[in-house]
Amino acid sequence: MPTSTGRRIRAAATPWLFATPAIVFFTLFLIIPIGYAIYLSFRGFRIHGGGAFGRRVQAFVGFDNYLAALTDPEYVAGLGRVLIYGVIAIPSVLGLALLFALLLDIPRVRAQGFSRTAIFLPYAVPGVIASLLWGFLYLPSTSPITYLAERLHTGPLDFFGYPALYFSLANIALWSGVGFNMIIIFTSLRAIPTSIYEAARIDGASELQIAWRIKIPLVAPALVLTGLFSVIGTLQLYSEPATLHPMTATVTTTWVPLMKIYEEAFKNDNLGGAAAASVVLALGILVISLLLLRLFQRRTFGDNV
Amino acid sequence: MHHLSQEIVMTPPTLPPPGPRRLRTTVRAMLAVALAASLAACSSAGTSSSGNATTGGPVTLQVWTWNLKNGNPAAKAIIDKYQQEHPNVTIKLSEVGGTADTAAKLLAADQAGDTPDVVQVEYRGLPALVVAGVVKDITADVAALKSGIEPNIWALTTFNNQVYGVPQDIGPMMLTYRKDLFDKYGVKVPTTWAEYAEAAEQIRKKDPSVYIASFSPSQLEFFAAHAAQAGAQWWSNDGNAWKVGIDSEASLKTADFWEDLVKRDLVKVEPLLTPEWNAQVNDGKLLSWAAAAWAPSVIHSVAPDTAGKWESAPLPQWTPGNPAVPFQGGSTYLVPAKSKHAKEAAAFAAWLGASDEGSKLMLTLDIYPGGNAGRQATLSSEPPQLMPQQKDFYQVADQVIKNTTIPATWGPNVNVAQSAFENALNTAALNKSSFREVYRATQQAVVADLQKSGYTVIK
Repeated sequence: MPTSTGRRIRAAATPWLFATPAIVFFTLFLIIPIGYAIYLSFRGFRIHGGGAFGRRVQAFVGFDNYLAALTDPEYVAGLGRVLIYGVIAIPSVLGLALLFALLLDIPRVRAQGFSRTAIFLPYAVPGVIASLLWGFLYLPSTSPITYLAERLHTGPLDFFGYPALYFSLANIALWSGVGFNMIIIFTSLRAIPTSIYEAARIDGASELQIAWRIKIPLVAPALVLTGLFSVIGTLQLYSEPATLHPMTATVTTTWVPLMKIYEEAFKNDNLGGAAAASVVLALGILVISLLLLRLFQRRTFGDNV
Repeated sequence: MHHLSQEIVMTPPTLPPPGPRRLRTTVRAMLAVALAASLAACSSAGTSSSGNATTGGPVTLQVWTWNLKNGNPAAKAIIDKYQQEHPNVTIKLSEVGGTADTAAKLLAADQAGDTPDVVQVEYRGLPALVVAGVVKDITADVAALKSGIEPNIWALTTFNNQVYGVPQDIGPMMLTYRKDLFDKYGVKVPTTWAEYAEAAEQIRKKDPSVYIASFSPSQLEFFAAHAAQAGAQWWSNDGNAWKVGIDSEASLKTADFWEDLVKRDLVKVEPLLTPEWNAQVNDGKLLSWAAAAWAPSVIHSVAPDTAGKWESAPLPQWTPGNPAVPFQGGSTYLVPAKSKHAKEAAAFAAWLGASDEGSKLMLTLDIYPGGNAGRQATLSSEPPQLMPQQKDFYQVADQVIKNTTIPATWGPNVNVAQSAFENALNTAALNKSSFREVYRATQQAVVADLQKSGYTVIK
């Protein structure tokens, strides 16, 4: 029957109609740029016509850019530095965030609202500003910490040496990242029905036992989420080292992968190489994220996910 | 951005104005650091060339420059003057950053087909833009004013006999030092690099908290000039093929020189114009800066209270009696290939850099003019504000220019060298490892990049 067919078509088309704006924007602002980046990653400048000042023109270069990115010692070393930084920063940020969230969740805790805001506040400070602030606290001539240390004869402190630099950077992440992660974990804690605690207390559990046995397992999904964000954020580390770079010789212009990519794209005029390195980094983040999710999926979300 | 700060270091404005002093931003260098930090924030400057291309009609020229700043009365006077003489031309100024930022934005603007009309870059950034095909050959446009600038300065913007830019300012190399503290420590101003090393040692002995200078691995151009002074040519070409001499023996000897000073802790490994550097310069802990004639105005901007305690001398030499040096820093105005008003743009650029009127006006901007008239005018100017007592500053600088006989040839991939060199040298300086390896690695990176692009590289 034509009317029923028409209705069926209309019924089938309706969801698509509603989804159209999302699909259009998704395509325009995500799929096409990604496609263009992948296209660029196979292009490079090669000279056209001879001579010492032969003109560079864009040409297809196959996998040259990928080969160059993967064999570039600076790019690989940058990944290594990011890993070391992550090993220090992620556990301390998440650990402190969890600790603060649990402390704030203790019944009858005082100044809860104020503490929550105070811990969250640094997150509102832009990363570049935070890095500048800390940078000045690290620089020997402007640092009050160094000043005090010298007065106490504990010698000049070198915040920009190795391995101190990793901790100096992790400290910036800690300062600005704890609040955000704490809020996520805290919100998740608040969603736990209080009846569970009451039952535990009737059974004689202490606050510590409740935190360890009940709260932490129940906020595990939030921990996985914040952990995932932290891992991705770590691999995308850029503004902190880039801000500290002009202040110290230790942070090179290619200290982390994103700095290397920026340099290739905007200083060395090598968009193809930058695109290839970006694709490699994006794929790496994707693979690590999927692995992490798979690893924690069963344990935290149960079998029904 | 990190990146911009070095740009600013390399092309600072150079001359104090002869007239009353403008209010100076003493935080300029700090701002540079801050700016450098916020490099992510790419300001999108106006790139549109408005107006019709009809000759004779009204024309608006978009100019990208860091020396002619909107809001600077001296710059406004220059622009007003030109507009008065050329009523059909309107000049619109944009400050888009240093050479690296400007180059990146110009390449993007060229791809978009919407370029400005006049663009300021440092000499070392020009070849890369020329081979990218974004710069117009303005040989014919500037022919009439050719005699306004000496040939060795035109050489900085001339490749294969084609002129790609009008030189604006130049950087005669000089050693700017704390006269009072050199006297106090009983140290003679070094005239050779051997004496420089001795002076460095003496200063460290007299006061262990003081260094003769900082060692800044980001100053590629200084190290290139230092090697050129020793007889090495980092880039050269015969019109067809490139020759890269970063690992030539003459160049490696200069690497040894710095490695020795760094290993003996006679220079302080510290980037230039960081808050740390500024504090040390203010406190009299860093006593000199081997750079060019623009250094005094940079130092004055970060340490105005030390004015009157500095002097500038010719750069130390490798061989006593051989004062030859190349230029360090300085910049040029180019006309983008896709400028819609190329003729008017070239005329404006030529007027700024090469005409008597323009090059003299450059003096009001604190920069050392490349044009003959401007150079002549320096001789009757007051010395820079940093050294009001050194009455012969410009005579010394003028003599240095006469000794600037080493051509500075930059290759099409200076940026590749810059990153490879800076990062490797930073690491080597901190680990106290071989500097020769840094120069060799840079050589390899530069040669590999040239070959990858398809250039012929000869041994």
